[in-house]
Amino acid sequence: MQLVYRSKADAFEVIYDRHADAAYSLAYRICAQRALAEDVVQEAFLSLWRSRARYERDRGSVRTWLLGIVHNRSIDALRRRAVRDRGIVHDEGLQERVAAPERTDLDVARREEAREIRDALDELPDEQSRVIELAYFGGMTHVQIASMLDTPVGTVKGRMRLGLAKMRMALGDPAEVVQ
Amino acid sequence: MSVGDSHIDRDLCGDNAAPYVLGALTEHEHEAFRLHLESCAVCREEVAALQVVASALPAVAPQLSAGPELKRRVMASVYEDVGRSEAEEPALSVRSKRGSKLAWLQWRPLLASGALAAAAVVVAVLAIVSGGGGGAGTRVIRAEVTPPHASASLRVSGGHAQLDISGMPQTPAQRVYEVWIKRSGGPQPTDALFTVTAKGDATVGVPGSLHGVTVVMVTTEPLGGSKVPTSSPVIVARLS
Repeated sequence: MQLVYRSKADAFEVIYDRHADAAYSLAYRICAQRALAEDVVQEAFLSLWRSRARYERDRGSVRTWLLGIVHNRSIDALRRRAVRDRGIVHDEGLQERVAAPERTDLDVARREEAREIRDALDELPDEQSRVIELAYFGGMTHVQIASMLDTPVGTVKGRMRLGLAKMRMALGDPAEVVQ
Repeated sequence: MSVGDSHIDRDLCGDNAAPYVLGALTEHEHEAFRLHLESCAVCREEVAALQVVASALPAVAPQLSAGPELKRRVMASVYEDVGRSEAEEPALSVRSKRGSKLAWLQWRPLLASGALAAAAVVVAVLAIVSGGGGGAGTRVIRAEVTPPHASASLRVSGGHAQLDISGMPQTPAQRVYEVWIKRSGGPQPTDALFTVTAKGDATVGVPGSLHGVTVVMVTTEPLGGSKVPTSSPVIVARLS
């Protein structure tokens, strides 16, 4: 039984090596703080490790599952911080990006796929890409976005839907692209 | 039915599928819409269609490297869990105390269906490392390095290359190192942007194939990299 536990741990380490950079990149993009992003990634991987029995292959790849956890926890962390630090401006993002560790194991194919997805987002009208980015990476609710842009809530939702639908058309089936 | 169809009664369903997959509903709205999905096939279909795009969005984030310290933290917790699980099953214990991964390494060969299988893995790994099996071997090229006390080498294997760097100075504020490749024309930028550790070390993959590449070099550039070099190379590795 011990060997089984440890073989699972070794297999998990392979999963970590394969997806840690993507997880950290997403967390950092949302949190803009290295320490917070690292905490989020650590929590997400441990959640993955401890709930691995619940993973259902039919519901997507491990990567998709993991990045979903990272996204949710990053947004939670961002919103908690927003409440706690209301009025405090965090300006360490740029500095920490400079200090980020070196990149290793560059995956050319995945980078090409990432470029396609970025292009699909960039090709959207500004008002559509903006609401998608504010929601997904900024952790803002549609109500907050509507208020910030001084735009009706229904318009914001419509822009999100149209933007995502156009990206889907542009990418074919991105679920297959990024696995 | 496509996600762009206009005849869906979005008012009835709240047009919430897109904000739902983007995580942009409030907690209360999210829960209400989740319940709504159980009874609304139209919204379920729309969520499924939009979810694949939302799941692709992480790729848009600039790709950074998770540091080794983070891996150490995560794996330490994992092996703590393993230790606890083992402790809970003393009757099946092979050894009374095994807390470290090092101890596990002594047992790992037994995991395979037999020693032969383990040996086959070892042979395969050795073949890859040594470049055996008919493939090109690994070539290590010592690079010319400008900063004193720094060194760099280019490890070329299977048409791809990796820069191993040590003793390099930290980049100035708001700047990063950028890897360039030269074929017949001028330097071409790559996506490989990096900083070095506190000791000045870095291991950086050179993106893409080395076909036709004569020089791999590194310059310091503004954050986000440059399309053409804005400073003199600090590392130059010549392949020919």
